[in-house]
Amino acid sequence: MTPTPAPFDPPQLSRFPAEVRAAYHQFRATGDATAVQLVVLSAVREHCPRKTTLAAEDSAATAGLRLVEDLAYDSLAIAELVFFLEDLFEVSISNEEILAIATVGELRTFVARKLSEKFAAPA
Amino acid sequence: MTLAPAADRAVITGLGFITPIGNDRATVGASLRAGTPGLAPVRFLGNPNLPVKLAGTVKEFSVDSPLWRDWQWPARYDIPRETLRSLSPHGVYAFCAVTQALADAGLTPADIAHDDRTGLFCASAGSAMLLHHNLAAMHAVRGERGNPLGVVSSISGTLNFNLAAHFRVTGAVVGFVSACASASHALGYALDELRLGRLDRVIVVGAEELNAETLVPFAAMRALSAGTTPATASRPFDADRDGFVGAGGATALILETATLAAARARQPYAELAGWGQSADGHSVAMSHPEGVGLRRAMQRALADARVTPAAIDYVNAHGTSTPVGDRAEALALRAVFTDIGASPVISSTKGLTGHPLSLAGAMEAGFCALALAEGFMPGNPHLVTPDETCTGLNLPRATLLRAPRVVLNNSSGFGGSNVCHVLRVL
Repeated sequence: MTPTPAPFDPPQLSRFPAEVRAAYHQFRATGDATAVQLVVLSAVREHCPRKTTLAAEDSAATAGLRLVEDLAYDSLAIAELVFFLEDLFEVSISNEEILAIATVGELRTFVARKLSEKFAAPA
Repeated sequence: MTLAPAADRAVITGLGFITPIGNDRATVGASLRAGTPGLAPVRFLGNPNLPVKLAGTVKEFSVDSPLWRDWQWPARYDIPRETLRSLSPHGVYAFCAVTQALADAGLTPADIAHDDRTGLFCASAGSAMLLHHNLAAMHAVRGERGNPLGVVSSISGTLNFNLAAHFRVTGAVVGFVSACASASHALGYALDELRLGRLDRVIVVGAEELNAETLVPFAAMRALSAGTTPATASRPFDADRDGFVGAGGATALILETATLAAARARQPYAELAGWGQSADGHSVAMSHPEGVGLRRAMQRALADARVTPAAIDYVNAHGTSTPVGDRAEALALRAVFTDIGASPVISSTKGLTGHPLSLAGAMEAGFCALALAEGFMPGNPHLVTPDETCTGLNLPRATLLRAPRVVLNNSSGFGGSNVCHVLRVL
């Protein structure tokens, strides 16, 4: 897959793999929420405070991984990940919403729902 | 009642340099001996019309972006993700300088982690670039979201916060903010802590960024050189000097009691024999025209180290190459030395490095330690015509390959803050 050109090529993703940037572009251009999954997974891997073994590809096992217990996330890393997603997708996420999320799968479901509210009718 | 521990001497056992003239001790020493400047062309804000053409640049690093993912640093330094996320650009320099200094002192990170007798004293003005980036983003979304690590990566304590957390410092951690005297204050108060018996070892680190947000505001103060030639732009004490050349980097020094260094069988670079400080009480930004504050700081440092002016072999001057500042320092040096018949070798190494603001005092104390340990006295290679106020001062052009025994290191900062150190050969 080749990198997709602007307009949906934000600086926050400039160091991410081309397929992640392409997935973000696809989501913003088409509203295809499944494309977001790769972006979220990549962001989770990116914000692990320590070197992670989190696989690049999607899998059922990944969805069950717990941010704190399995991926060594601390509260700062969670806050940083949440801000990254807020900033990237231009949404606001409340403390109550964050506290309800424990696993990678719950985070992906949450982001998909949040974005469906905001981007229900893509321009 | 328990008696306070006997005052112990303090020695410098480790040095770490990330500077315009070298990113390791050997390169820095070679640059000082050869008089090799570390200045390079810069362009800020994409504007070729700015009167800032040169700076003391930091090589091997790329930290211009506000996003840490874009940063690059030498692969020999392992900065973990959990530390990087809250660092500032000058924090990256400082991390590398501290890592280097610890190794140079024969210490591993495990040796100092959770050691209640090791402290960390930092000098930093914070990251104006990150602060601006974060606050502009805050305004853009009217405060509805923000980087959770924005505060600790950008405010003026950012070095202390990050390095203390990473290196697991438990003795003490503090930051110093006195502009261009900051790092000299850090080193001076570190000496006091050792003398008071409160700590056995202090990691002293100063760092400064080199970017538009840090440097260009000084153009508005008319404080920067408009020079375009690295060999002449920064020329402290020259009659034709026209301002300072900015610089970035970091320097770390490991200061230990002589007792601890001996117990570890380390041969120190030098003794930090004393320090003195004063305040001008004169101007927010300019030195006292007669240098009376700096004179008093020098005399206090000499008295603290119990040495006479005649015993000083070399002075590393603050000498930033500004018309007002160099004049004040020249007059202060004449009052302390020339007027009593003393004539130490004097140079400002900012001719080679440019002026790295909050970092200056630590970097130049490191240079003094090298000069004492390796037996040389840096010269003033860019000096052509000494200013008339320098009459009687010994300002050699070339580095002298002659060993000093006692040296004085001067620093002055905004608000009339003056700090001097005396270092002695061992």
